[in-house]
Amino acid sequence: MDESQLIARVRSGDRAAERALYDAHVDRVYRLAFRLAGDDALAQDFTQETFIRAFDRLGSFRGDAAFSTWLHTITTTVVLNGLRKVKRFRQRETDIDDAHEIGTVHRQAEPDLKLRLKQAIDALPEGYRTVFLMHDVEGYTHEEIGTALGVETGTSKAQLSRARAKLRVALADFAGEWAQ
Amino acid sequence: MTEQHEDPKFEQWLRDAAKAYHSPLPTPREEMWKRIEEARRHKHVIELRPWMRWAIAAAAVLVLGIGIGRWTATPSSGPNGTTLATNDSAGRHVTREIDSLAGVAYQVAATQYLSRTEAFLTSFRADANRSANTARLARQARELLSSTQLMLDSPAANDPRLRSLLEDLELVLMQIAMLNPLQDGRDRDLITEGMSQSNVLPKLRSAIPAGPVSARTQGAL
Repeated sequence: MDESQLIARVRSGDRAAERALYDAHVDRVYRLAFRLAGDDALAQDFTQETFIRAFDRLGSFRGDAAFSTWLHTITTTVVLNGLRKVKRFRQRETDIDDAHEIGTVHRQAEPDLKLRLKQAIDALPEGYRTVFLMHDVEGYTHEEIGTALGVETGTSKAQLSRARAKLRVALADFAGEWAQ
Repeated sequence: MTEQHEDPKFEQWLRDAAKAYHSPLPTPREEMWKRIEEARRHKHVIELRPWMRWAIAAAAVLVLGIGIGRWTATPSSGPNGTTLATNDSAGRHVTREIDSLAGVAYQVAATQYLSRTEAFLTSFRADANRSANTARLARQARELLSSTQLMLDSPAANDPRLRSLLEDLELVLMQIAMLNPLQDGRDRDLITEGMSQSNVLPKLRSAIPAGPVSARTQGAL
């Protein structure tokens, strides 16, 4: 059975088809949610929310694009909105916190490459970080990214290029690693 | 477009190195599917209804004040120059207007309450490094607990599904409100485990209209 038939069965209320559609896509959705959120509980929440919305709105899926593209549009919307909400909530907490405590955490020097890379990726602007993770880490094409994020393909390419440039500067201490 | 700083060696190294960034765990597909099914069963059943007005007394007072103020400020008069305030149909009209305004305000307030609770619990569960201050978490939980208990004592709790959600929230918030700083880590683990078992976050999300809070309330007032 091809995917359009599967989708038609889901629309007609076939629960087994729902499960089959979920099984076909859940790994990629969860992986992307995890990459962006960096937390299992959040990634699970976002994945669940993505599928709940997708099943609820399947009637509006017209099949102009691939189902996976449509689903990843929902995924990125759910994840980025969710992360913004958590960030705002944590920011309010941080504002109340003792400033000395915060400063200490951020000033810690970290010589380890893995942690430095993590810090550098975390520090990227949201758009750059999302495009970098989707393209370079999860292997999405610029066309898929453009559709998912609602931007032009050229914008996705430009953001990736700028993300890499920022990371290169941030990781300059480790230039020997890639110059070999 | 070719950017000046393109460097194939760096890009290849970066791609390889970045695989370790937020490296995903195996997909917990069965657990997630179970929660999706449960959340979808609750979807469309828990809705924000007019009787939630009784739970949000402060908003009601505000809106009633605005409603009455608007009406009395309207220079409408009857054919003999008597004001419509003494007319029965005008009285009913005012009541309807006030009810309508109050209903909107209660929905906005209730949506914001549920959204705040969701943001709080999501952040609490995701706070793996335990950096949040226990005393502050407890205070925030107590504030939300008061609103939850107010809703539980209101006609809102007549709906069995919403009552079940409110009771789950009450239990979780009560546990957070009573967090012991000395046994903090263990207590938090127990609370998050309880949250997962009762499926409280997916149920809560099902009760909140999709979209950010500002969008949910947009056009309502």
